[in-house]
Amino acid sequence: MALSNLKEYVRPDELDVALSLVKERGTSARVIGGGIDLVRSSSPDIETLVDLSHLSLSYVRQTDKGVAIGATTTLTEILEAPALENYLQGVVVEMLHQVGAPPLRNLASMGGTLASAHPWSDVITLFLALGAQVTLYNGVTRMVPLSDLYASRALLSPAIITEALLPAYAKGTAAAFMKFSRTKFDIAILNCACLISTQNGDCKGVRLTAGGTPQLATLLPAAAEVLLGRRLNQTSIGQAAGIARETTLVRDDLRASGNYRRELVYAGVKRCLTCVSRQLSGVSQ
Amino acid sequence: MKIELIVNGKQQELDSAPGETLLHLLRRIGYKGVKKGCESGDCGACAVLLDDRVVNSCLVLAAKADGHRVTTVEGLAGQDKTGELHPVQEAFLEHGAVQCGYCSPGMIIAAVDLLAHNPNPSDQEIKEGISGNLCRCTGYVKQIEAIRIAAEKMRKSADV
Repeated sequence: MALSNLKEYVRPDELDVALSLVKERGTSARVIGGGIDLVRSSSPDIETLVDLSHLSLSYVRQTDKGVAIGATTTLTEILEAPALENYLQGVVVEMLHQVGAPPLRNLASMGGTLASAHPWSDVITLFLALGAQVTLYNGVTRMVPLSDLYASRALLSPAIITEALLPAYAKGTAAAFMKFSRTKFDIAILNCACLISTQNGDCKGVRLTAGGTPQLATLLPAAAEVLLGRRLNQTSIGQAAGIARETTLVRDDLRASGNYRRELVYAGVKRCLTCVSRQLSGVSQ
Repeated sequence: MKIELIVNGKQQELDSAPGETLLHLLRRIGYKGVKKGCESGDCGACAVLLDDRVVNSCLVLAAKADGHRVTTVEGLAGQDKTGELHPVQEAFLEHGAVQCGYCSPGMIIAAVDLLAHNPNPSDQEIKEGISGNLCRCTGYVKQIEAIRIAAEKMRKSADV
Protein backbone atom coordinates (compact mmCIF):
# COMPACT_ATOMS: atom_id res chain seq x y z
CA MET A 1 0.00 0.00 0.00
CA ALA A 2 1.20 3.51 -0.77
CA LEU A 3 1.66 5.85 2.18
CA SER A 4 2.34 2.82 4.36
CA ASN A 5 3.56 4.88 7.31
CA LEU A 6 0.81 7.49 7.21
CA LYS A 7 -0.45 7.98 10.76
CA GLU A 8 -2.61 11.07 10.64
CA TYR A 9 -4.77 12.94 8.18
CA VAL A 10 -5.66 16.41 9.39
CA ARG A 11 -8.01 19.03 7.95
CA PRO A 12 -7.42 22.20 9.95
CA ASP A 13 -9.94 25.03 9.91
CA GLU A 14 -7.28 27.71 10.31
CA LEU A 15 -4.20 28.49 8.27
CA ASP A 16 -2.08 29.01 11.40
CA VAL A 17 -2.97 25.54 12.63
CA ALA A 18 -1.99 24.07 9.27
CA LEU A 19 1.33 25.90 9.36
CA SER A 20 2.00 24.84 12.96
CA LEU A 21 1.45 21.20 12.01
CA VAL A 22 3.85 21.49 9.09
CA LYS A 23 6.44 23.15 11.31
CA GLU A 24 6.01 20.66 14.17
CA ARG A 25 6.04 17.52 12.04
CA GLY A 26 8.87 18.70 9.79
CA THR A 27 9.73 16.49 6.84
CA SER A 28 7.24 13.81 7.91
CA ALA A 29 4.35 16.15 7.04
CA ARG A 30 3.05 17.07 3.61
CA VAL A 31 0.49 19.69 2.67
CA ILE A 32 -2.17 18.54 0.21
CA GLY A 33 -4.73 20.23 -2.00
CA GLY A 34 -6.12 17.47 -4.21
CA GLY A 35 -3.52 15.02 -2.96
CA ILE A 36 -3.26 13.02 -6.19
CA ASP A 37 0.52 12.98 -6.25
CA LEU A 38 0.85 11.79 -2.69
CA VAL A 39 -1.78 9.05 -2.87
CA ARG A 40 0.62 6.99 -4.93
CA SER A 41 3.71 7.93 -2.95
CA SER A 42 5.73 5.03 -1.60
CA SER A 43 7.80 7.34 0.61
CA PRO A 44 8.12 5.82 4.09
CA ASP A 45 8.86 9.31 5.46
CA ILE A 46 5.32 10.63 5.15
CA GLU A 47 3.43 10.28 8.43
CA THR A 48 1.10 13.29 8.35
CA LEU A 49 -1.03 14.82 5.63
CA VAL A 50 -2.35 18.33 6.17
CA ASP A 51 -5.36 18.83 3.92
CA LEU A 52 -6.09 22.51 3.18
CA SER A 53 -9.63 21.94 1.93
CA HIS A 54 -11.32 23.49 5.01
CA LEU A 55 -9.48 26.81 4.72
CA SER A 56 -11.85 28.52 2.24
CA LEU A 57 -9.09 28.73 -0.35
CA SER A 58 -11.23 27.59 -3.28
CA TYR A 59 -12.08 30.66 -5.37
CA VAL A 60 -11.35 32.53 -8.57
CA ARG A 61 -11.84 36.27 -8.11
CA GLN A 62 -11.48 39.26 -10.37
CA THR A 63 -9.55 41.95 -8.48
CA ASP A 64 -8.12 45.29 -9.55
CA LYS A 65 -4.69 43.64 -9.76
CA GLY A 66 -5.80 40.70 -11.88
CA VAL A 67 -7.38 37.30 -11.33
CA ALA A 68 -6.76 35.74 -7.91
CA ILE A 69 -6.96 31.95 -7.63
CA GLY A 70 -7.11 30.23 -4.22
CA ALA A 71 -4.71 27.38 -3.55
CA THR A 72 -7.28 24.60 -3.24
CA THR A 73 -9.25 25.62 -6.33
CA THR A 74 -9.39 22.64 -8.68
CA LEU A 75 -8.27 22.90 -12.28
CA THR A 76 -11.90 22.33 -13.32
CA GLU A 77 -13.08 25.22 -11.16
CA ILE A 78 -10.44 27.43 -12.76
CA LEU A 79 -11.42 26.23 -16.23
CA GLU A 80 -15.08 27.05 -15.58
CA ALA A 81 -14.49 30.39 -13.83
CA PRO A 82 -16.18 33.34 -15.58
CA ALA A 83 -13.26 35.60 -14.55
CA LEU A 84 -10.92 33.64 -16.81
CA GLU A 85 -13.22 33.14 -19.78
CA ASN A 86 -11.93 36.25 -21.52
CA TYR A 87 -8.65 36.77 -19.66
CA LEU A 88 -6.03 37.23 -22.41
CA GLN A 89 -8.35 35.77 -25.04
CA GLY A 90 -9.11 32.71 -22.88
CA VAL A 91 -5.55 31.37 -22.92
CA VAL A 92 -5.80 29.80 -19.44
CA VAL A 93 -9.01 27.99 -20.35
CA GLU A 94 -7.51 26.78 -23.61
CA MET A 95 -4.46 25.43 -21.79
CA LEU A 96 -6.49 23.70 -19.07
CA HIS A 97 -8.56 21.83 -21.65
CA GLN A 98 -5.29 20.10 -22.54
CA VAL A 99 -4.31 19.14 -18.99
CA GLY A 100 -5.07 15.51 -18.20
CA ALA A 101 -8.72 14.50 -18.30
CA PRO A 102 -11.77 15.62 -16.29
CA PRO A 103 -11.32 13.09 -13.43
CA LEU A 104 -7.83 14.47 -12.81
CA ARG A 105 -8.79 18.11 -13.30
CA ASN A 106 -11.59 17.64 -10.75
CA LEU A 107 -9.02 16.68 -8.12
CA ALA A 108 -5.82 18.52 -8.96
CA SER A 109 -5.55 21.86 -7.19
CA MET A 110 -3.81 25.01 -8.36
CA GLY A 111 -1.59 25.15 -5.26
CA GLY A 112 -0.68 21.47 -5.52
CA THR A 113 0.17 21.89 -9.18
CA LEU A 114 2.52 24.80 -8.48
CA ALA A 115 4.09 23.13 -5.43
CA SER A 116 4.59 19.73 -7.08
CA ALA A 117 6.51 21.44 -9.89
CA HIS A 118 6.26 18.59 -12.36
CA PRO A 119 8.60 19.36 -15.26
CA TRP A 120 5.91 18.66 -17.84
CA SER A 121 3.35 20.94 -16.15
CA ASP A 122 1.35 22.93 -18.69
CA VAL A 123 0.03 25.18 -15.93
CA ILE A 124 3.50 26.24 -14.79
CA THR A 125 4.73 26.92 -18.34
CA LEU A 126 1.81 29.26 -18.99
CA PHE A 127 1.70 30.85 -15.52
CA LEU A 128 5.42 31.70 -15.75
CA ALA A 129 4.84 33.35 -19.11
CA LEU A 130 1.90 35.30 -17.69
CA GLY A 131 4.07 36.64 -14.88
CA ALA A 132 2.01 34.96 -12.16
CA GLN A 133 2.65 35.88 -8.54
CA VAL A 134 2.15 33.48 -5.64
CA THR A 135 1.16 34.32 -2.11
CA LEU A 136 3.03 32.35 0.56
CA TYR A 137 2.16 32.11 4.22
CA ASN A 138 4.84 31.31 6.80
CA GLY A 139 3.34 33.27 9.69
CA VAL A 140 3.35 36.39 7.56
CA THR A 141 1.91 36.73 4.09
CA ARG A 142 4.13 37.69 1.20
CA MET A 143 3.76 37.70 -2.53
CA VAL A 144 6.60 36.56 -4.78
CA PRO A 145 6.91 35.99 -8.52
CA LEU A 146 6.26 32.35 -9.40
CA SER A 147 9.70 32.24 -11.01
CA ASP A 148 11.27 32.98 -7.59
CA LEU A 149 9.55 29.91 -6.15
CA TYR A 150 11.41 27.70 -8.60
CA ALA A 151 14.66 29.61 -8.27
CA SER A 152 14.61 28.95 -4.53
CA ARG A 153 12.51 26.05 -3.28
CA ALA A 154 13.60 27.11 0.22
CA LEU A 155 10.75 29.63 0.01
CA LEU A 156 8.39 26.72 0.70
CA SER A 157 10.14 25.38 3.79
CA PRO A 158 8.08 25.91 5.77
CA ALA A 159 5.42 27.94 4.01
CA ILE A 160 2.05 27.29 2.42
CA ILE A 161 0.93 28.55 -0.98
CA THR A 162 -2.40 30.26 -0.43
CA GLU A 163 -3.08 32.05 -3.73
CA ALA A 164 -1.83 32.76 -7.25
CA LEU A 165 -2.41 36.03 -9.01
CA LEU A 166 -2.58 36.32 -12.77
CA PRO A 167 -1.83 40.03 -13.35
CA ALA A 168 -4.21 42.31 -15.22
CA TYR A 169 -2.82 43.52 -18.54
CA ALA A 170 -3.66 46.54 -20.63
CA LYS A 171 -5.13 46.40 -24.10
CA GLY A 172 -2.50 45.49 -26.66
CA THR A 173 -1.36 42.44 -24.69
CA ALA A 174 -1.87 38.88 -25.89
CA ALA A 175 -0.74 35.42 -24.85
CA ALA A 176 -0.57 31.95 -26.36
CA PHE A 177 0.16 28.40 -25.23
CA MET A 178 1.29 25.42 -27.27
CA LYS A 179 1.63 21.81 -26.19
CA PHE A 180 3.21 18.91 -28.03
CA SER A 181 2.12 15.48 -26.82
CA ARG A 182 1.21 12.09 -28.26
CA THR A 183 -2.46 12.79 -27.72
CA LYS A 184 -4.12 15.99 -26.59
CA PHE A 185 -4.44 14.71 -23.03
CA ASP A 186 -1.02 13.10 -22.63
CA ILE A 187 1.83 14.60 -20.65
CA ALA A 188 3.67 17.16 -22.76
CA ILE A 189 6.75 16.14 -24.72
CA LEU A 190 7.35 19.87 -24.71
CA ASN A 191 5.24 22.95 -24.08
CA CYS A 192 5.71 26.65 -24.80
CA ALA A 193 3.96 29.88 -23.92
CA CYS A 194 4.36 33.56 -24.58
CA LEU A 195 3.02 36.89 -23.42
CA ILE A 196 3.52 39.99 -25.55
CA SER A 197 2.64 43.55 -24.56
CA THR A 198 2.76 46.11 -27.33
CA GLN A 199 2.91 49.89 -27.65
CA ASN A 200 2.11 51.44 -31.01
CA GLY A 201 2.45 47.99 -32.52
CA ASP A 202 5.97 47.34 -31.19
CA CYS A 203 6.80 44.73 -28.57
CA LYS A 204 7.24 46.45 -25.23
CA GLY A 205 7.18 43.44 -22.91
CA VAL A 206 7.98 39.87 -23.93
CA ARG A 207 7.91 36.71 -21.86
CA LEU A 208 8.63 33.37 -23.51
CA THR A 209 8.74 30.01 -21.72
CA ALA A 210 9.39 26.39 -22.59
CA GLY A 211 8.73 23.43 -20.31
CA GLY A 212 9.00 19.66 -20.37
CA THR A 213 12.45 20.01 -21.90
CA PRO A 214 12.30 17.59 -19.93
CA GLN A 215 13.06 19.97 -17.09
CA LEU A 216 10.68 22.41 -15.44
CA ALA A 217 9.64 25.40 -17.52
CA THR A 218 11.99 28.36 -17.64
CA LEU A 219 11.91 31.78 -19.21
CA LEU A 220 13.75 32.20 -22.52
CA PRO A 221 15.27 35.68 -22.02
CA ALA A 222 17.59 35.72 -25.05
CA ALA A 223 14.76 34.90 -27.44
CA ALA A 224 12.48 37.44 -25.75
CA GLU A 225 15.08 40.21 -25.95
CA VAL A 226 15.38 40.03 -29.72
CA LEU A 227 11.72 41.04 -30.03
CA LEU A 228 11.86 44.13 -27.82
CA GLY A 229 11.05 47.32 -29.69
CA ARG A 230 10.21 45.39 -32.86
CA ARG A 231 7.03 44.43 -34.61
CA LEU A 232 5.93 40.84 -34.72
CA ASN A 233 6.39 39.68 -38.30
CA GLN A 234 7.73 36.63 -40.08
CA THR A 235 11.33 37.84 -39.74
CA SER A 236 11.30 38.76 -36.06
CA ILE A 237 9.29 35.67 -35.13
CA GLY A 238 11.70 33.44 -37.04
CA GLN A 239 14.69 35.06 -35.33
CA ALA A 240 13.20 34.68 -31.86
CA ALA A 241 12.28 31.04 -32.52
CA GLY A 242 15.78 30.39 -33.85
CA ILE A 243 17.41 31.87 -30.75
CA ALA A 244 15.04 29.86 -28.55
CA ARG A 245 16.12 26.71 -30.39
CA GLU A 246 19.79 27.50 -29.86
CA THR A 247 19.60 28.62 -26.22
CA THR A 248 17.04 26.33 -24.59
CA LEU A 249 18.58 23.47 -22.63
CA VAL A 250 17.03 20.22 -23.83
CA ARG A 251 17.91 16.57 -23.34
CA ASP A 252 16.72 13.04 -24.04
CA ASP A 253 14.25 11.12 -21.93
CA LEU A 254 11.80 8.30 -22.58
CA ARG A 255 9.34 10.64 -24.33
CA ALA A 256 11.64 12.24 -26.89
CA SER A 257 15.22 12.91 -27.85
CA GLY A 258 16.92 16.20 -27.11
CA ASN A 259 17.29 16.87 -30.82
CA TYR A 260 13.58 16.40 -31.40
CA ARG A 261 12.81 18.69 -28.47
CA ARG A 262 15.14 21.34 -29.89
CA GLU A 263 13.05 21.41 -33.05
CA LEU A 264 9.85 21.50 -30.98
CA VAL A 265 11.14 24.60 -29.15
CA TYR A 266 11.55 26.28 -32.54
CA ALA A 267 8.11 25.20 -33.74
CA GLY A 268 6.40 25.98 -30.45
CA VAL A 269 7.83 29.46 -30.04
CA LYS A 270 7.10 30.25 -33.67
CA ARG A 271 3.50 29.06 -33.39
CA CYS A 272 2.91 30.89 -30.11
CA LEU A 273 4.27 34.15 -31.51
CA THR A 274 2.33 33.74 -34.76
CA CYS A 275 -0.84 33.13 -32.76
CA VAL A 276 -0.22 36.26 -30.66
CA SER A 277 0.57 38.29 -33.75
CA ARG A 278 -2.79 37.30 -35.26
CA GLN A 279 -4.61 38.11 -32.02
CA LEU A 280 -3.00 41.54 -31.83
CA SER A 281 -3.86 42.32 -35.43
CA GLY A 282 -7.43 41.15 -34.84
CA VAL A 283 -7.31 38.17 -37.21
CA SER A 284 -9.39 35.30 -35.92
CA GLN A 285 -7.73 31.92 -35.53
CA MET B 1 -9.87 6.66 11.73
CA LYS B 2 -13.63 7.18 11.46
CA ILE B 3 -15.02 8.78 8.34
CA GLU B 4 -18.53 9.55 7.20
CA LEU B 5 -19.58 9.11 3.62
CA ILE B 6 -22.91 9.37 1.87
CA VAL B 7 -22.64 6.55 -0.64
CA ASN B 8 -25.45 6.46 -3.19
CA GLY B 9 -27.64 8.46 -0.83
CA LYS B 10 -26.95 6.29 2.21
CA GLN B 11 -25.01 7.83 5.10
CA GLN B 12 -22.35 5.51 6.45
CA GLU B 13 -19.81 5.76 9.26
CA LEU B 14 -16.76 3.75 8.33
CA ASP B 15 -13.35 2.80 9.71
CA SER B 16 -10.50 3.54 7.36
CA ALA B 17 -6.73 3.46 7.63
CA PRO B 18 -5.29 6.95 6.94
CA GLY B 19 -3.65 5.82 3.68
CA GLU B 20 -6.61 3.83 2.31
CA THR B 21 -7.92 4.99 -1.05
CA LEU B 22 -11.58 5.58 -1.76
CA LEU B 23 -11.38 2.82 -4.38
CA HIS B 24 -10.28 0.23 -1.82
CA LEU B 25 -12.79 1.39 0.76
CA LEU B 26 -15.72 1.31 -1.66
CA ARG B 27 -14.87 -2.17 -2.92
CA ARG B 28 -14.28 -3.38 0.65
CA ILE B 29 -17.79 -2.36 1.66
CA GLY B 30 -19.34 -4.00 -1.38
CA TYR B 31 -19.46 -1.49 -4.21
CA LYS B 32 -17.82 -3.78 -6.76
CA GLY B 33 -19.11 -1.68 -9.66
CA VAL B 34 -16.12 0.52 -8.88
CA LYS B 35 -13.48 -1.34 -10.89
CA LYS B 36 -9.85 -1.67 -9.95
CA GLY B 37 -7.75 -1.00 -13.02
CA CYS B 38 -4.42 0.80 -13.20
CA GLU B 39 -4.59 2.34 -9.71
CA SER B 40 -2.60 5.27 -11.06
CA GLY B 41 -5.28 7.55 -12.45
CA ASP B 42 -4.80 6.56 -16.07
CA CYS B 43 -7.66 4.20 -16.98
CA GLY B 44 -10.79 5.63 -15.33
CA ALA B 45 -12.24 2.20 -14.45
CA CYS B 46 -12.58 3.30 -10.82
CA ALA B 47 -14.39 6.57 -11.59
CA VAL B 48 -17.06 7.72 -9.16
CA LEU B 49 -18.84 11.01 -8.57
CA LEU B 50 -17.44 12.87 -5.57
CA ASP B 51 -20.24 15.28 -4.78
CA ASP B 52 -21.20 15.88 -8.41
CA ARG B 53 -17.86 15.62 -10.22
CA VAL B 54 -16.16 12.59 -11.69
CA VAL B 55 -12.91 11.57 -10.00
CA ASN B 56 -10.60 8.58 -10.10
CA SER B 57 -11.30 6.90 -6.76
CA CYS B 58 -7.82 5.35 -6.86
CA LEU B 59 -6.36 8.86 -6.49
CA VAL B 60 -8.59 9.94 -3.62
CA LEU B 61 -7.78 9.07 -0.05
CA ALA B 62 -10.90 7.85 1.72
CA ALA B 63 -10.13 10.43 4.41
CA LYS B 64 -10.36 13.21 1.83
CA ALA B 65 -13.87 12.09 0.95
CA ASP B 66 -14.96 12.36 4.60
CA GLY B 67 -18.26 14.24 4.80
CA HIS B 68 -18.87 14.12 1.05
CA ARG B 69 -21.36 12.43 -1.26
CA VAL B 70 -20.10 9.54 -3.37
CA THR B 71 -22.06 8.09 -6.27
CA THR B 72 -21.01 4.80 -7.81
CA VAL B 73 -22.52 3.15 -10.86
CA GLU B 74 -24.77 1.17 -8.50
CA GLY B 75 -26.35 4.45 -7.41
CA LEU B 76 -27.35 5.68 -10.85
CA ALA B 77 -30.28 3.40 -11.46
CA GLY B 78 -33.53 4.01 -9.67
CA GLN B 79 -32.61 7.42 -8.35
CA ASP B 80 -36.29 8.27 -8.76
CA LYS B 81 -37.21 5.12 -6.79
CA THR B 82 -38.70 3.42 -9.86
CA GLY B 83 -35.57 1.31 -10.33
CA GLU B 84 -35.21 2.51 -13.91
CA LEU B 85 -31.78 2.70 -15.40
CA HIS B 86 -30.17 6.09 -15.87
CA PRO B 87 -30.58 7.30 -19.49
CA VAL B 88 -26.82 6.91 -20.03
CA GLN B 89 -26.98 3.28 -18.86
CA GLU B 90 -29.99 2.64 -21.11
CA ALA B 91 -28.23 4.16 -24.10
CA PHE B 92 -25.09 2.08 -23.47
CA LEU B 93 -27.22 -1.08 -23.46
CA GLU B 94 -29.42 -0.19 -26.41
CA HIS B 95 -26.64 1.01 -28.68
CA GLY B 96 -24.04 -1.66 -28.11
CA ALA B 97 -21.59 0.50 -26.18
CA VAL B 98 -20.57 -2.39 -23.91
CA GLN B 99 -18.27 -5.23 -24.91
CA CYS B 100 -16.27 -6.73 -22.04
CA GLY B 101 -17.85 -4.14 -19.77
CA TYR B 102 -14.89 -3.45 -17.51
CA CYS B 103 -14.63 0.21 -18.48
CA SER B 104 -18.40 0.73 -18.61
CA PRO B 105 -19.07 1.81 -14.99
CA GLY B 106 -16.33 4.45 -15.08
CA MET B 107 -17.25 5.64 -18.54
CA ILE B 108 -20.95 5.88 -17.65
CA ILE B 109 -20.07 7.88 -14.52
CA ALA B 110 -17.90 10.23 -16.61
CA ALA B 111 -20.76 10.66 -19.09
CA VAL B 112 -23.23 11.42 -16.29
CA ASP B 113 -20.92 14.20 -15.03
CA LEU B 114 -20.49 15.55 -18.55
CA LEU B 115 -24.23 15.68 -19.27
CA ALA B 116 -25.02 17.20 -15.89
CA HIS B 117 -22.76 20.15 -16.72
CA ASN B 118 -23.17 20.24 -20.49
CA PRO B 119 -26.57 18.91 -21.62
CA ASN B 120 -25.82 19.38 -25.32
CA PRO B 121 -22.19 18.40 -25.89
CA SER B 122 -20.52 18.27 -29.28
CA ASP B 123 -18.75 15.05 -30.26
CA GLN B 124 -15.47 16.77 -29.42
CA GLU B 125 -16.79 17.65 -25.97
CA ILE B 126 -17.96 14.06 -25.47
CA LYS B 127 -14.49 12.84 -26.42
CA GLU B 128 -12.93 15.20 -23.90
CA GLY B 129 -15.51 14.17 -21.29
CA ILE B 130 -14.50 10.51 -21.54
CA SER B 131 -10.83 11.14 -22.27
CA GLY B 132 -9.91 9.81 -18.84
CA ASN B 133 -11.58 6.45 -19.51
CA LEU B 134 -9.74 3.80 -21.48
CA CYS B 135 -11.65 1.15 -23.42
CA ARG B 136 -9.60 -1.59 -25.04
CA CYS B 137 -12.53 -3.27 -26.88
CA THR B 138 -14.77 -0.88 -28.70
CA GLY B 139 -12.79 1.93 -30.28
CA TYR B 140 -15.10 4.42 -28.52
CA VAL B 141 -17.46 4.93 -31.48
CA LYS B 142 -20.43 3.23 -29.82
CA GLN B 143 -19.88 4.97 -26.49
CA ILE B 144 -19.77 8.38 -28.11
CA GLU B 145 -22.95 7.53 -30.04
CA ALA B 146 -24.65 6.30 -26.84
CA ILE B 147 -23.73 9.45 -24.92
CA ARG B 148 -25.03 11.62 -27.76
CA ILE B 149 -28.33 9.70 -27.73
CA ALA B 150 -28.58 9.83 -23.93
CA ALA B 151 -28.05 13.59 -24.08
CA GLU B 152 -30.90 13.96 -26.59
CA LYS B 153 -33.18 11.83 -24.44
CA MET B 154 -32.33 13.76 -21.28
CA ARG B 155 -32.91 17.10 -23.01
CA LYS B 156 -36.29 15.90 -24.25
CA SER B 157 -37.40 14.72 -20.82
CA ALA B 158 -36.20 18.01 -19.30
CA ASP B 159 -38.44 19.86 -21.79
CA VAL B 160 -41.52 17.82 -20.87
